[in-house]
Amino acid sequence: MIKLLEHLPVLVILFPLCATLLCPLISHFKPSFGKKVVMTGLFLSVVCAVTQLWQVVSTGEALHYYLGGWKPPFGIEFVIDGLNGIIVVLVAVISWITSLFSSPFEKLEREEGNFRSAGYYSMLSFLALGLLGMASTGDAFNLYVFMEITAISGYGLIAIGEEKGPIAAFRYLLTGTIGASMYLLGVGFLYAATGTLNMADLAAAMPELVDSPLIILSVGCLIVGFGIKMALFPLHGWQPAAHSYAHPAADPMIAGIMIKVPAYAMLRFFFCIFSESSAVMEVFFDAVGVMAVFGVLFGSLKALRYTTYNKILAYSSIGQVGYIAMGFAIGNFYGLIGAVLHIVSHAFMKSGLFYTSGALKYKFGIHETTELGQVYRDMPMTGMTMTVCALSMIGLPPFAGFFSKWYLAIGAIENGQYGFVVVLILSSLLSAIYFFRVMEKLFMDKKTASERTDTVQPKGKLELPWQLIVPMIVVVCAVILLGLFNSYIVGDVLEPTIREVVLA
Amino acid sequence: MEEKKTKRKVALGLLIVVVLVGIGALKVGSFLPTIGALDTPANSNISDYYINHAYEDTHAHNIVTAVLADYRGFDTLFETCVLLLSGIAVLTILSSKEKIAQKSDKEMIEYYRHSTFGSALMDGAFRIVVPVILIYGIYVLFHGEISLGGGFQAGALLACAYLLNRIIPKFDLRKQKAREELGIITAAAGAFFYVITGVLPMIFGGNFLAFGKLPFAASTIAELHADGILMIEIGVTICVAGVIITILEVVLERTNFDD
Repeated sequence: MIKLLEHLPVLVILFPLCATLLCPLISHFKPSFGKKVVMTGLFLSVVCAVTQLWQVVSTGEALHYYLGGWKPPFGIEFVIDGLNGIIVVLVAVISWITSLFSSPFEKLEREEGNFRSAGYYSMLSFLALGLLGMASTGDAFNLYVFMEITAISGYGLIAIGEEKGPIAAFRYLLTGTIGASMYLLGVGFLYAATGTLNMADLAAAMPELVDSPLIILSVGCLIVGFGIKMALFPLHGWQPAAHSYAHPAADPMIAGIMIKVPAYAMLRFFFCIFSESSAVMEVFFDAVGVMAVFGVLFGSLKALRYTTYNKILAYSSIGQVGYIAMGFAIGNFYGLIGAVLHIVSHAFMKSGLFYTSGALKYKFGIHETTELGQVYRDMPMTGMTMTVCALSMIGLPPFAGFFSKWYLAIGAIENGQYGFVVVLILSSLLSAIYFFRVMEKLFMDKKTASERTDTVQPKGKLELPWQLIVPMIVVVCAVILLGLFNSYIVGDVLEPTIREVVLA
Repeated sequence: MEEKKTKRKVALGLLIVVVLVGIGALKVGSFLPTIGALDTPANSNISDYYINHAYEDTHAHNIVTAVLADYRGFDTLFETCVLLLSGIAVLTILSSKEKIAQKSDKEMIEYYRHSTFGSALMDGAFRIVVPVILIYGIYVLFHGEISLGGGFQAGALLACAYLLNRIIPKFDLRKQKAREELGIITAAAGAFFYVITGVLPMIFGGNFLAFGKLPFAASTIAELHADGILMIEIGVTICVAGVIITILEVVLERTNFDD
């Protein structure tokens, strides 16, 4: 029979794939079963992802899975090491709790059209498996295929969102296509120079080709491609609208992890494949650093201007992606630890904040922060999640957000790049301003609270359906635990991988 | 006036960008390897392996099919999924848009008085074409291993036959149309068939999509690979045909061609 443990890397993807393919058929006969299939698929995927990470960490060796049984340069392989093992777990967990979170929203919408709910869950599951595939693959072209799946399901989920959703989705479609084409062009140049698509093979061929013009071109294309996908500063145009108007239940996933996995892919390309440093690479890293600095400042300043909750969060994401790029630009051990840690912690914080945004829309239809008025009285759990995630975004010590910034600062000081430290502190202060403005409305605004007094919470009932509460609890626990047990995560999982794989 | 000026400025800026990119592309062209040259890395590294081993590994005379469906079959699975996903996205986005009202019988007769291809004779001729296209589609599907063809093209041809049949006026005016949801379910079933082909070897001790471990009777492993390639081509065909038909139906039901 199947030895399940041998097949873990592909099972992580197969479970959501089977679920998403069966979802339309099952929903046709029994509408409420379709979403249960997707939830089960994603849950099994979480189990596999955690087991595989545990295997990697306990044996200290990367898992290789040859798809189709063909040896790497000729076939496709999945490679799981400590670095992308963590990303896979992160994506799987957030996808699963998001599918749980979607359930009450889709109850509202089932009346509209009977395929809508099934289509929504299919696309959500496709988004999850696309991101999982991008994180686990060891083949440059396979990454492109998964990038396409991610992008198309993203367009769909944004288009079925709020009123302005279709326009936002169309903008994202245009820019996203350019980004994907740039990535493909970059891979094309790499293939012309080396004749292989396997990442390990590419890395082995690199030392002889450091100053080849094809490689320089390909690095440029890849920076633009990944930059568009992760919404790095001058290439972020699609992001605020897309994150603000997406389907409120899918938004946590779109905002939380859809821009993080390309960031991970950028790290994998630049530090595992182009690891030989040359003068040109230095210039490119300086360029990424400049983009990061301007992105951090631009995102934080722009977020100050808005009162719409989703817009604030979207612009703050531009700043936070800047931190990750800053980690790449610093490029030493601590910088990379900071970048990876920020990918993980920001994914939890931002999806947590979007969970609260979705919950506010579900219960009161609140879009603007000016309507928040003491909403914590009616929705204590939502208020708590907002507070914890916002404090973590600002970077206060017990929470996860502090530690990633701390490692970035250590890395910058070690390299003598004090400009980055100044930017870090400045943008933390700016984010403190805009998040405290939200919290002021949340806790102290008396005006709008009085308007809402007629909706009194019945005693002994939950503030929201339990499917909305559980994701928030998971996120809050993750943010606190990532902060408290930070030294274990960095010491046991990240440090060996980054020293061996990335900086070898 | 102001607007015209800014438009002109934008156009000028775009022109400069295009010219710069063009000059850059010409410069890059000299670095790129010559097309078809045998000593370039792209043509010598792993291509050699495919050229020398494809037939004995997979029994596919067409190396492109061997690479597409076997060596890189995992990519093809997700390319198929991309198509399915686009069908699902179209159906989901448009499901909230209202369908146009069903025509009454009288309107229908009036509507079909204008033939699709100019005259009743042409319509009749195209009706004969439909089964021919169907046969050709099946031929392309099964012929993919030997010459040009394969699942994607076959699926497009089958959908094309359906499209012709759908737009030619019928003698009996009853609407023969697929339900849009049924189309996407069929497409998903096609992709699922692909996945099953991949999972079967896992049960019998191989990796995902390792066709050499398929539980069929065959004299050589290469023959098993050929079986596997045929199975996934069938899956791809069903998926592609289903998706194209779905998108067509969804759009047709919401478009009024009279105005």
